[in-house]
Amino acid sequence: MSDLVVLPDRAPTEWRGTAMRRRIARRYAAERRFRALGLLAVLVSAGFLAFLLVAMLGEGARGFRQTELSLTIDFPAAHLPLTAQAVAREPRRAMIGVDLEGAVANAAERQYGAGGARLLSDGAWLTARDAILRDPDVLGRSITLWVPAATSIDIAAKDAGEPAAEAAYAKLSGRGLVRTVFAWHFLTSADSTDPTLVGIWGALKGSLLTMAVTLLLAFPIGVLSALYLEEYAPKNRWTDLIEVSINNLAAVPSIIFGLLGLAVFLQTFHLPRSAPLVGGITLALMTMPVIVIAGRNAIKGVPPSIRDAALGIGASRVQVVFHHVLPLALPGILTGTIIGMARALGETAPLLMIGMRAFVATPPGGFTDPSSALPVQIFLWSDEVSAGFIEKTSAAIVVLLAVLMAMNGVAIYLRNKFERRW
Amino acid sequence: MSAPFLLIVIIGLAIAAWFTARARAAAFAPPTDGAQRPHSRPGQHGWYTALWVAIPALIVAAAWNVASPALVTRAVLAEPAAASIPADPLERGAILAETRALATGRVAAAFHHQAPVLAPAYAAARLRYGLMGLALAIVAGLAGGAYAYSRVRPDFRARTPVERLVMALLLIASLIAILTTIGIVASLLFESLRFFAKVSIVEFLFGLHWSPQTAMRADQVGASGTFGAVPLFWGTIFIGAIIAMIVAIPLGLMSAIFLTQYATPTVRRWVKPLLEVLAGVPSVVYGYFAALTIAPAIRTAGLAMGISSASSESALAAGLVMGVMIIPFVSSMADDSLAAVPQSMRDGSLAMGATQSETIRKVLVPAALPGIVGGVLLAVSRAIGETMIVVMAAGLAANLTANPFASVTTVTTQIVQLLTGDQEFDSAKTLAAFALGLVLFVVTLLLNIVALRVVKKYREAYE
Repeated sequence: MSDLVVLPDRAPTEWRGTAMRRRIARRYAAERRFRALGLLAVLVSAGFLAFLLVAMLGEGARGFRQTELSLTIDFPAAHLPLTAQAVAREPRRAMIGVDLEGAVANAAERQYGAGGARLLSDGAWLTARDAILRDPDVLGRSITLWVPAATSIDIAAKDAGEPAAEAAYAKLSGRGLVRTVFAWHFLTSADSTDPTLVGIWGALKGSLLTMAVTLLLAFPIGVLSALYLEEYAPKNRWTDLIEVSINNLAAVPSIIFGLLGLAVFLQTFHLPRSAPLVGGITLALMTMPVIVIAGRNAIKGVPPSIRDAALGIGASRVQVVFHHVLPLALPGILTGTIIGMARALGETAPLLMIGMRAFVATPPGGFTDPSSALPVQIFLWSDEVSAGFIEKTSAAIVVLLAVLMAMNGVAIYLRNKFERRW
Repeated sequence: MSAPFLLIVIIGLAIAAWFTARARAAAFAPPTDGAQRPHSRPGQHGWYTALWVAIPALIVAAAWNVASPALVTRAVLAEPAAASIPADPLERGAILAETRALATGRVAAAFHHQAPVLAPAYAAARLRYGLMGLALAIVAGLAGGAYAYSRVRPDFRARTPVERLVMALLLIASLIAILTTIGIVASLLFESLRFFAKVSIVEFLFGLHWSPQTAMRADQVGASGTFGAVPLFWGTIFIGAIIAMIVAIPLGLMSAIFLTQYATPTVRRWVKPLLEVLAGVPSVVYGYFAALTIAPAIRTAGLAMGISSASSESALAAGLVMGVMIIPFVSSMADDSLAAVPQSMRDGSLAMGATQSETIRKVLVPAALPGIVGGVLLAVSRAIGETMIVVMAAGLAANLTANPFASVTTVTTQIVQLLTGDQEFDSAKTLAAFALGLVLFVVTLLLNIVALRVVKKYREAYE
């Protein structure tokens, strides 16, 4: 070896010298900067989440409130072709052809002057109708009702209206003729063209029906596939194919499942359009891989000693799995299922593809009725031009987030309560 | 007879069969010394009998369900009142459909005057044939059950067929995944081929002009529509792979570094799930937020900066919000890769006197890079397949521009746009959506395969 290089005499590093101290100070500063950058990234991400939630909650809280106007209706003076007896006898039939809408508009004009009818919501007469149905005797006298106000007044009451509406609202509120109440009907009615009358129940019920179909299909299929792949599948090309398909399906964009639903369920099998049944099947195909993957992890977590013990005392392989492995893996599987269902609940694009974007003004009665779904309803309302829909959209988002949070809460509870370390 | 009712009856019968067969099997004399023990458990005899009830009954019910509408229609047409129905098949069909709707109570009033006359006959025939089907199903179930019950003996091996059926069920369940994949590929491919019969594949993949509007009249300008999808591909890449990643990679990576290397366990336990909430918020909520809050703010900012073309549907708004949505994906993948770097490498670096940030930048991140790259690829595939944010916040104009304040459109936006109008299913416009879907499917699939391969290779390197 010829590399016997003579090392130059090296002086020991002068750690206390100015140059070295400065260098160390620089390195420590870089360290602090880097650390601050990391903290900043976390704070920015968390801040965005907080901003999003606060904006939605703030706007949504206004959507749950509703402004009402006091309206005095003098039924005898309105000369309606209605009698208390007729209503009491056959409520629905008696109402047909009665111009209650006109009567309410007249009452508003009389009470609030010209243009008074415009202060009321288009659905104000529904309140009058309900009052008559509740007590037909009001037809014989004059009553004072709280009816929903028009969108412009409603927005003015929440300090965001146009000047004219703000002025009108100030005048009304000075006379004590307006009040703001919790909009119960938002939770009980379905879609409408008038933002003061819309409700979320139709869409929520559609979502619940869709989720029921999804759960009934995806859960058994997912659990059985997971059991097969983890416990019984021989190592061969078919099993590989199944595994590859499941892993790929989990990564396919959701809109592709919508295209599948459109081409196969609607065009080929002619299932009803925009029905929870088709939506549920489509979302089930999407959720199934999630359940399989979660299920396999949970099944893997069950120690082999349990299987060996069961086999050792004479259980068959089916008994081992269904009596021992499945019950022990179930909490994990359920957690994964709930998380998959929560994702399916928020999914919009596949449902748009299979036509669940129609205007549906009555809550669906069954699995094949045309229906909307919660996220689709949010999308549809966000497209509306009327300013009153902004806060309703946010309120619908609040409902959706509340449902999702409840589902995730249950998942976390299950995990903490039943998770077992072996 | 309604299907749910039939199903309940069959399930009820099967449950009854389960209990009777199990009771009989449980009554077998306990084995005395030397006698052979019963082969199967009482419950397995129960299952055997219950399946012999349910499966024949379900087969008969399903067959009847297919056959009975034709039988009902024939019975109704044989009524004397049906003599006045015109022979024209179209009108005949319309009247019968209305009769059906009346009889089942789906509508209250009819357009054809024959319909209300026939409705009672229709309802009666339906009931008659429904009861007949119910009776047939019950007979089939009872016959099967009786056969199985007669075989319940101590030496009968009920376990074998029951367990074989269970295994078949498991296999069928796992084949559904393959079926779904085949269904996706087949439907996309089939419709795309029909599209490429109308529009050349070269024009679709390399054309620079996208305007799918097909005209009402033949002599209108641009009557055929042009389907050059390059502006769509560019818009998708611009929003999903460039702007979103510029947001998501630094924030996700730095969050992961902070949470794994600097934060105390308590902070990590609380903040990590908090970031994961970002991935749990539905995309429609992000889309609404982007359209309502972010997009107007960006437009104002753009105008203030003197960009007069700033659009209220800017690529920047959609990309920013999408980036935020992707943060948890990048962050959790980076988290896993950083955790997989052997402790000895980090200890070695620290022992040489490197500060923690120098260790992270010069040792940990380079060592974890393949895993991080894999995670970023997965995030890109998720971003380009994302639909609602771009549908709500990005535009529809197919511009080929790199200006983030301008409006661009994406593949998913166009799919939604093309398929939600009132179009006949065969038009080039709707078929184009499937061709776009096929491209999207292939690209996301390739990204996922590459990403998983990268991640796997890297894991092997340290194991």
